[in-house]
Amino acid sequence: MQGIAEKLEWIQLSLGYFLPELLLCVSVIFLLLASLFSKAKERATDAFALTFFIGAFVLSLLQYSEVSSTIPLFSGMLQLNNFSTHLKILIDLAAILTVLLSYSQKERKGEYYALIATATLGAHLLVMSSNLVMAFLALELISLPSYALAAFGFQKKSMEAALKYFLFGSVASAIMLYGMSMLYGQTLTLDFASSTFRQAIFDNQNYFLVISVCFVLVGFLFKMSSAPVHPWAPDVYEASTTPVVAFFSVVPKLAGLGILIHFIQALNLGGYSSIRWYVIISLIAILTLIIGNFAALLQKNPKRMMAYSSIAQSGFLLIGAITLNEQGIAVMLYYATAFLLANYLVFWYIAYFEEQTVVEIADYAGVGKTQPFASIMLLIGLISLTGLPPTAGFMAKLFIFSSLWTAYEDSQAIIYMMLFVVGLLNTVVSLFFYLKIPYQAFLKAESRTLTIKKSILVNLFGIIVVIMLLVLFFMPSSLMGWLNRINFAL
Amino acid sequence: MPIQPLYILSALLLSIGLVIVIVKRNAIMVLMGIELMLNAANINLIAFNQKTPQTLDGQVFSLFVMIIAVCEAAIGLAIILQVYRHYKTSVPDEVTELKG
Repeated sequence: MQGIAEKLEWIQLSLGYFLPELLLCVSVIFLLLASLFSKAKERATDAFALTFFIGAFVLSLLQYSEVSSTIPLFSGMLQLNNFSTHLKILIDLAAILTVLLSYSQKERKGEYYALIATATLGAHLLVMSSNLVMAFLALELISLPSYALAAFGFQKKSMEAALKYFLFGSVASAIMLYGMSMLYGQTLTLDFASSTFRQAIFDNQNYFLVISVCFVLVGFLFKMSSAPVHPWAPDVYEASTTPVVAFFSVVPKLAGLGILIHFIQALNLGGYSSIRWYVIISLIAILTLIIGNFAALLQKNPKRMMAYSSIAQSGFLLIGAITLNEQGIAVMLYYATAFLLANYLVFWYIAYFEEQTVVEIADYAGVGKTQPFASIMLLIGLISLTGLPPTAGFMAKLFIFSSLWTAYEDSQAIIYMMLFVVGLLNTVVSLFFYLKIPYQAFLKAESRTLTIKKSILVNLFGIIVVIMLLVLFFMPSSLMGWLNRINFAL
Repeated sequence: MPIQPLYILSALLLSIGLVIVIVKRNAIMVLMGIELMLNAANINLIAFNQKTPQTLDGQVFSLFVMIIAVCEAAIGLAIILQVYRHYKTSVPDEVTELKG
C-alpha cells in the first residue's frame, strides 16, 4: 500500500507541470469527437485546432519562465527542464504553423488535426522522457500518426510513400527496441537519468555497450531523418501534402534531437566516459551533411530537394549536439529556431505556388517577374536556410561553427576539425541547390501564364516570418539571452 | 531455469526477422518479420528481468511493446490495403511510382 500512496503522490505533484500535454490529450479527444458531430464544418475544426495549439504554446511558454532546474515527473519517467521546454515551444509553434498552412488544403477534417495533435503530444513526451519505456512509447506516438499522415494525400503515390515510411520506420523502431533491451541487460535499469544507470555504464565500457547504443541511435536518427537511415525522407516528402511535409521536417526532427542529446548526455558521464561518443556522432553528422547536400544538387522537384535539405540541416543540428555544454546547446536551439522559421516560410510559398500548378523546379521559370513579392519571400527563406546575411540562418551557422571551433581548441580532437571543414564546404555546396528556384524565378523567361490567386493571408504570414528572421539577425541577443537561461545539467 | 539460452534465442529471432524483412517481397511477410524482431526484444527484456526479480521493469516494458506491436500491425495493414487498392499488388518492389 505504501507503494501506491507514493505513486499517487508523484502523480499529484507532477500534474501541475504537465499542463501542455494534458491540453494536447484533451485536444485529440475533442477534435475526434468534433469531427463526429459536426460534419463539413471545416472552418470550425481549423479554429478548434488552432486554439488548442496556441493554448499548448502559451502553457509551454509559461512553463519556461516557471522552471529553473530539472524537475523529475511521474516517478522519474519524465524530466522537465528548460532545454526540453524550449524544444516544446518550438514544436507547438510548428504545430500552429502547420494548422495555418493546412488552411487551403482539401482534406482537413477532425481526424487530420487529431493525428497532428497526437504526433505533437508524442514529440512533447519524447523531449521530456528520461526512461527507455517512455522514450519508446513517445517515439511510437510520433511514428504511428505520421504513417497515417503520410497517406493523407489520398493519391496513388502518397499511399506508396506511406508504405515505404511505414516499413522503414517499423524496422528502425524494432532495431531500436532491441538495442534498448540489450542496454537494459547491461544496466538492469530503464531510467537513463538515474545514478544506477550511470554507474552500470561506467562499469561496462566495452564494445557490447557501443553496439547496443548504436542500435538505439538508429531509432532516434530515423526520426531526425539523418544518414544512414534517411532514405524514407525524399519519397515521403515528394508524395505527401505540403503542410504534412513541413510538419515532418520539423517536429520529429526536433523531438529526435531532444532525446538524442539527453541520451548521449547520460552516456557521456560528464566527460568521464572512456568511449568517445562524440566521435560516433561526428561521423554521423559528416555523413549526413555530405549525403544531404550532394544528393540535393540532383533534384528536380522542390519538395524532394527540401527533403535532402532537411537531411543536411539535421547534420548541422547534430553539430550543435556534439559539444554537449551549455553554450553548444544554446547555439543548437538558436539554430533550431532559425531553421524552423525559414523552413516554414519556404514550405508556405511552395504550397502557394503549388496551387498555381507550379510543381517542378523548372515550372518556376519567370514567376519572379509576374509575382515578385512571393518570389522574394521564397528567396529570403532559402537564403536563410543557406546561411547568408541578412537572415537568422547566417547568425545560426556562425554560432554553430564558432562553438565547434571552441570545442576543437579545448579538446584538440581531429574529428572536430574534420567536421568543421566538411560543414563549411557543405554550406558552399548548399548555395547551389537552394538558389536553383530563385535562378529559375528571376533569370529565366516565363514559359506559360499562371492564374494568380490573390492571397493576403499568405503574404501577411510571410511578412511576419521574414521580420522575425531579420530581427534574429540584427538582434541575436534577443533570443540568446532567452536561451542562456537554460541550465543544462543532468 | 538458466537464462543464457534465451539470449541466443532472441538473437536468432532478431536475425531471422531481419532476414525476412530483407528477403521476402510481400509487404505482409515483411510485417511478420518486423513482429519477429519486436518479439526478440521482448524475450530479451523478460530474460534480463530475471537478474533483478524484485523489480518488474523489463516485464512491464514487454507488455507495452506488445500493445505497440498490435497498433503498428493495424496501421500497417491499413496502409497495405490502400496500396493494394491503388496498385493491385502488395509487393513493395512493384510499387515504384516515386523514384529512389
